[in-house]
Amino acid sequence: MEPLYTLRGVTKLFQRGPTTVRALDGIDLEIQPGEFVALEGPSGSGKTTLLQLLGALDRPTAGDVLFEGTDLVGLPDHELAGLRLRSFGFVFQQFNLIPTLTAVENVEVKLVPVGGDRARALQMLDEVGLAARADHLPAHLSGGEQQRVAIARALSVEPRVVLADEPTGNLDSATGAEIIDLLAKLAAEHGSTIIVATHDSSLAARAPQRLRMRDGKLVDVPAAVS
Amino acid sequence: MFYVRYLRNELVRRRARTILTALGLGLGVALVIVIAGVSSGLDKAQKKTLNPLAGIGTDLTVTLAPQTQDTGGFNGGGGGGANRDLVQANLSVVTDLSKLGKAGTHFVHDFFLPGSQLTFKQSATSQIASIPGVAKVSQGLTLLAEHQEGVVPKIVATLKTQAKTFQIQRNIPRPTAAQFAQMQACFAKQAAKSGSSGSGTTTTPNSGSGGFGGGGGGSGFGGVNRGAFSKCLPASMQRLRTRFTAPSQTLKQVLDPPQTNIKTSAYTIGGVDPTDPTMGVVTTAQVTKGKFLSPTSTHQALVSQTYAAKYSLKVGSKLNLNGTSFTIVGLVSPPLGGQSADVYLPLKQLQTLANEKGLANVVLVRATSGKNVSQVKQAIQAALPNAQVASSKDVADKITGSLVNASNLSHDLGLVLEIIAAVSAFLLAALLALSSIGKRVRELGTLKALGWTQRMVVRQVAGESLAQGLLGGIFGIILGVVVCLVIGAFGPSLSASSTTGGGNLLGLGAETARTATSSISLSAPIGVTVLAIGFGLALLGGLVAGTAGALRAARLRPADALRTVE
Repeated sequence: MEPLYTLRGVTKLFQRGPTTVRALDGIDLEIQPGEFVALEGPSGSGKTTLLQLLGALDRPTAGDVLFEGTDLVGLPDHELAGLRLRSFGFVFQQFNLIPTLTAVENVEVKLVPVGGDRARALQMLDEVGLAARADHLPAHLSGGEQQRVAIARALSVEPRVVLADEPTGNLDSATGAEIIDLLAKLAAEHGSTIIVATHDSSLAARAPQRLRMRDGKLVDVPAAVS
Repeated sequence: MFYVRYLRNELVRRRARTILTALGLGLGVALVIVIAGVSSGLDKAQKKTLNPLAGIGTDLTVTLAPQTQDTGGFNGGGGGGANRDLVQANLSVVTDLSKLGKAGTHFVHDFFLPGSQLTFKQSATSQIASIPGVAKVSQGLTLLAEHQEGVVPKIVATLKTQAKTFQIQRNIPRPTAAQFAQMQACFAKQAAKSGSSGSGTTTTPNSGSGGFGGGGGGSGFGGVNRGAFSKCLPASMQRLRTRFTAPSQTLKQVLDPPQTNIKTSAYTIGGVDPTDPTMGVVTTAQVTKGKFLSPTSTHQALVSQTYAAKYSLKVGSKLNLNGTSFTIVGLVSPPLGGQSADVYLPLKQLQTLANEKGLANVVLVRATSGKNVSQVKQAIQAALPNAQVASSKDVADKITGSLVNASNLSHDLGLVLEIIAAVSAFLLAALLALSSIGKRVRELGTLKALGWTQRMVVRQVAGESLAQGLLGGIFGIILGVVVCLVIGAFGPSLSASSTTGGGNLLGLGAETARTATSSISLSAPIGVTVLAIGFGLALLGGLVAGTAGALRAARLRPADALRTVE
């Protein structure tokens, strides 16, 4: 079976003032489809950078990122945008909902460009248990509710991968646990691979597969599950 | 449509920003519309006012210039020195109070003076008409009128003179030889009648004594009867004795410069040929209310708007000029220049009133084509050396006042102001759009992360700005139109004045100076073009702002956008 992701020698450098930051330092990794992968590590270990490369939000300084056999490095911007639209779903720590749009409209933002409609958006809100709050603006929703909207948005297009960057970072632990469970359940239902970056090892422990990062490198990589 | 809903939500839910941007653009647009409106209003006013001769269908005006030395040529009214005539003509306003009537009665009288323009005969007009290049001439008479009104003062005294007897004594002239002979014969006859009263009855008087003195009567003809004797004297000697008595007289006389309530007001009056409404000191083109004088009119008058406003005159009001009543048939807005007047009458009527029968003091000349105006001007000047020939430009150059200033300002600054207004509005809109993008980096980054292409993001951002431009345009048009209407309704009044005559004319300057003032209420007409341009500018402003914002948004890398933490 072809791996979902194959990363070879992926390095990412950032220029922060006079110093060069080595955010990712020669990462080699394979991720199989259908997995629930936890990416653990302290802040600044390179989790977010790795997720952004996996989500085609950025390009590596060196190395290859192959998604289902295609090297993302060589793709033009608009094809990357197409991939992000159809194959990836993002869930962010800050929820990143559009503040002027209601819950259902925030789901439509992702759905409409691929031809989805409001009915589908409402259905997704129903799946995350927010059908009743469809017409509320993000500002009128709690953190947990906002993150549910974000999950509904990410999964609305049945993406191949859901990339979640500290999805519980702004939530209390009970809500955080609920969110992770919801994410895992829905990902399984929609047949999406889920990759969650977190610095919370108790949450990471709920994932069947764990990747640990430190200083831009993968450490203590557990044996790949095939 | 989702994108439209998104756009609307952005505008509605970020109300403050939307309103601020639309307001900024709107103010810019309104300013452009108002400046353009005022500018075109000024242009219109200027065209009407500052192109004085074209308005009256004329290229040149010919007047008789008062000269310091009489050079003949262009014959003045009385034939004497032009200046002397002018002084005399203008001095005729001296009011003889004793001739006004009984003390205490109200009197109104209008005096018509030629001002600084002397009158001339019809022949001069014909002479100008015969100059090659002259298409048409029309003569007019513009006079300075002194209107006096008041009560005849009581200081006119009545004096009764005493009867006087005059006595005249003179030496009697010597009789001629014939008279002498006759007298002698008479005496002889008388002596014979009285008989032998004297010894020397047959004696002839001594021929040697030539004197027939008064005393001689007694001694020479002592014996003769005195009454009968006197009959022998010639008639001329008898008449000298006549006495006469001067009759008693009643004299009226002004004793002193009396204090009166007589008010004097000056205005200008013009005579128009009513048969040609297209060319004359005023034409149908200047009628703003009512109608032009009818071709056969005798008792019709036109008054200028300013004069009508000053004395609350309306179409239909009556004007009484020295006993003749004139009905105002129209209000006119005469072009400025030497020939504008406050009141216009048919030329013949004015000539009669002013005692200037057959005379005019201005000839309006229309050249066959605009090209040969200067040539015609030279020809007239050569033919009539004393003539003052003025072209439209000469007249316009003399016009001053706030209209001229405003018009010059609008010419010099109008476009600059418009550009400044538009650019400021654009800059404001662009800055607001950029600052808005700056605040929405995470939102736009999220859109990119969700898979929105560059084009979709740019389209959305530009769409928002364009919509703001649209709102700004609507707001600006409404504001601009309202301001223009307000200017039209309550706008400041601009005046333009033209002074002719006056100067160093033998101390008559002040009296002969004729200042015509035209007051024009500033209006700001709104043209569809201006509105369209204003609206286009707002959209353009929105587009400029949108492009600025969109370019910034497009440069965002989704990863960078997401890294920015609020």
